[in-house]
Amino acid sequence: MAMDGSANPEDFVVGCVLSIKTTLGDEFEGQVITFDRFSNILVLQEGSKQGPRRNIRLLKANYIKEWSLLGQAEDPLDIKKCYLDLNSLQAREDSAIRQAEAEAERIGVGVTSEAQNIFDALSKTLPVRWDKTVIVVMNEVRVSSPYLPESVSGGTPAANDRVKKVLELERKRLQSRGPGQ
Amino acid sequence: MNLQQAVQPKLSANGFGRRRGEREVGTRLENKSQSGKSNPSRSTNTVAGIGAMTGGKAGGYGSPSRDRVIYVTTRLIGHQVEVQVKDGSIYSGIFHATNTTEKDFGIILKMARLTKDCSVRGQKATAEFVSKAPSKTFIIPGKELVQVVAKGVSVTRDELSHEVQHEKQPELMLDSSISQSRYVEMERELEPWVPGEDDPRFPELDNIFDDRWNRGWDQFETNETLFGVKSTFDEEIYTTKLERGPNMDELEKKALRIAREIEGEETRDLHLAEERGISLHEDFDIDEETRYSSVYRGKGVDDSEYEEHEDMLLDSCNMETFGGSDSATKSSIGKSNDGARTSSGSSSKDQAHSSQSNTGLDVCRFGSHDHAKQLASELPFKSLPASDGESRVHENRVSEHGDNNNAKELEEKKMLGEDAQLSKPEDSRPSLIKKKDGSDIGGLSPDATSYAASSGVLSKGHEKMSFPGEHSDSIVSGKLHGEPQSLNPRGQPGSSASSSSDCAGSALALSGPGLSPSSSVGSISSEKSKEFKLNPNAKSFVPSQPPVRPHSPASDGSFYFPPNVPVPHMSGMPLGIGPSYPGHQPVIYPQLAPMQSPPYFHANGPQYGPQMLVGHPRQQQVLYMPSYQPEMPYKGRDF
Repeated sequence: MAMDGSANPEDFVVGCVLSIKTTLGDEFEGQVITFDRFSNILVLQEGSKQGPRRNIRLLKANYIKEWSLLGQAEDPLDIKKCYLDLNSLQAREDSAIRQAEAEAERIGVGVTSEAQNIFDALSKTLPVRWDKTVIVVMNEVRVSSPYLPESVSGGTPAANDRVKKVLELERKRLQSRGPGQ
Repeated sequence: MNLQQAVQPKLSANGFGRRRGEREVGTRLENKSQSGKSNPSRSTNTVAGIGAMTGGKAGGYGSPSRDRVIYVTTRLIGHQVEVQVKDGSIYSGIFHATNTTEKDFGIILKMARLTKDCSVRGQKATAEFVSKAPSKTFIIPGKELVQVVAKGVSVTRDELSHEVQHEKQPELMLDSSISQSRYVEMERELEPWVPGEDDPRFPELDNIFDDRWNRGWDQFETNETLFGVKSTFDEEIYTTKLERGPNMDELEKKALRIAREIEGEETRDLHLAEERGISLHEDFDIDEETRYSSVYRGKGVDDSEYEEHEDMLLDSCNMETFGGSDSATKSSIGKSNDGARTSSGSSSKDQAHSSQSNTGLDVCRFGSHDHAKQLASELPFKSLPASDGESRVHENRVSEHGDNNNAKELEEKKMLGEDAQLSKPEDSRPSLIKKKDGSDIGGLSPDATSYAASSGVLSKGHEKMSFPGEHSDSIVSGKLHGEPQSLNPRGQPGSSASSSSDCAGSALALSGPGLSPSSSVGSISSEKSKEFKLNPNAKSFVPSQPPVRPHSPASDGSFYFPPNVPVPHMSGMPLGIGPSYPGHQPVIYPQLAPMQSPPYFHANGPQYGPQMLVGHPRQQQVLYMPSYQPEMPYKGRDF
């Protein structure tokens, strides 16, 4: 049954399986874990597999365009097994952030995709990072746009040469792999 | 309720408070449970709080449904989520906290990136997409929020443990991430490393240990000082105890002397020679592989033959020593020879034997029996010393050098001849050998004798066989005995000329492997030439065989001697013999059907024309081992 506006809280009984269409065009099915009518958040568990992992969706109920009840099952959340270890959660978050940071360092902001490709290629063998649109290698050698061997500057002569060489090689490789890479 | 209070911290909408807020939540919950971190308690509390779930009407914050929401969102902390906002855009990031008010539910993400841009602006600027830096903290107000999707979340305790197991692989902490990241516990102040004074500038791997002897640093001492670790190393556990005493000097001198002697010994072994700085065979371009890695195969004998060969050699030596003319034993030896190589056929066999001992049939002199004899005698002598330390193989190798092919072949031939079975073409040889009566050179004779007897005639034909070409005629001439002399020690291909005449019969395989170096006997000259004369069977072998590298003495593997031994082999003839020497076959082994015509005949010599063979069949009888056939005379090494 389609409901418009905010759904009737009683409709969202814990454990029931719903099929939902959102106003933004998403369609999915899931089992209700909870519905908080105060914040109007519907927490659903998607996927039928009762594995160790679940796909969770939090949906603001006011974006539900239409929904229908597919069935009723028991509470997917076993209270007795609920467990929170804040420390490990915190640690997980920290680790995820570190990882994301490392990855973020790899992506240049406002650089062309070619530059990004060069960066990625260099990063395979050298420690590189972005400094705006400049590729900084080993924290001392800088490669600025247009990222040609001539654009390599800084660092000890040995490091400089090394970077130049690697750059040339990578450029050649990128070219041979196909234009438009 | 507990949870009510817990909920409050979430109310603050500013991003900075989030974490603290969360922590406070945690703290409160924990406090409530009256133990630092008793999660179970907490969950108990939570449980209590949740109470009546369905329909949760317990009131704003205390509702069980709310509790559940909180629980789930707390479980999401640190998880990668995708948040959709009102305009349809999706942000991907790490879930950090909820940003809720009573009525609103917002999300805070860390390191969020716009992964799907559905805004008006976004539709146009797709190229820019990748290059946007992720936002360290990204707040999505409740009003904007549409949904939050998280995949693979562990919700219950069981799931968590699962997660713990799977995810808790130690995270790789890169140095750079430690020093640069703000999120790592800072136990101490990190400073970038600057090279100190003592550190070598531009350390290269090459020179880093240059001063190792004058380092003036005792690792054991240092270790002890720093860590109190006492070294328990006792050299004597690992090596012979040195008796240091008044006699030390003397003993030392004596030891040095002995060492010098040993090191200065002459050697024929390539490796030893190299160590001692003696260069052997300089003029031969023995390539690296031969020098250092290939498996020595004893003049063309394949490995299995090796032992036999050795036996043969030994036997030959014995024979020499004791004049055993009967080489019954020889036959056995012969066997090993892979007769084939004994190019020279019987006589050569003897020679071969000797030569074998000499390493290589170089010594084989196939020439006449006498010659052979001489050779034989020489051979043995030569071989003796030779065999001493080095394997025959080496000898072979050595001898091969000059004339390697020849020598080898000779040897092989000889060997073949020896094989008692020299049945065929070799027969001639045997006969020759026999004739030689006496020239049991190296054991060949015995075989030869035996064969000789049988094949008296054989020699003729055989002789031809052994050597490609030249001797054929001579051989035929029945030199069985008479001519032995003519058989010049074929060993060296060169000498074929002389040998051809008589030795043909003797087929002294001598000519075979041009045991060059060792054969002191005149034939040396012929060594280099590849024609073998004597060996009627010898076919100049054009390397059909797996190519023996031209210079690897060892590789004479190509020479391999077909396992001669036992007559029974016959059928198997081509066994092992590399390119089967079909040529001879027909003649030789009655059983051998294939009459291969002289394809194998060496280009060099006519070796003996088919006509020669004719005679053989009859004589066959002895079986010359089919293996002999192949006699690989030379594996194509024409020097």
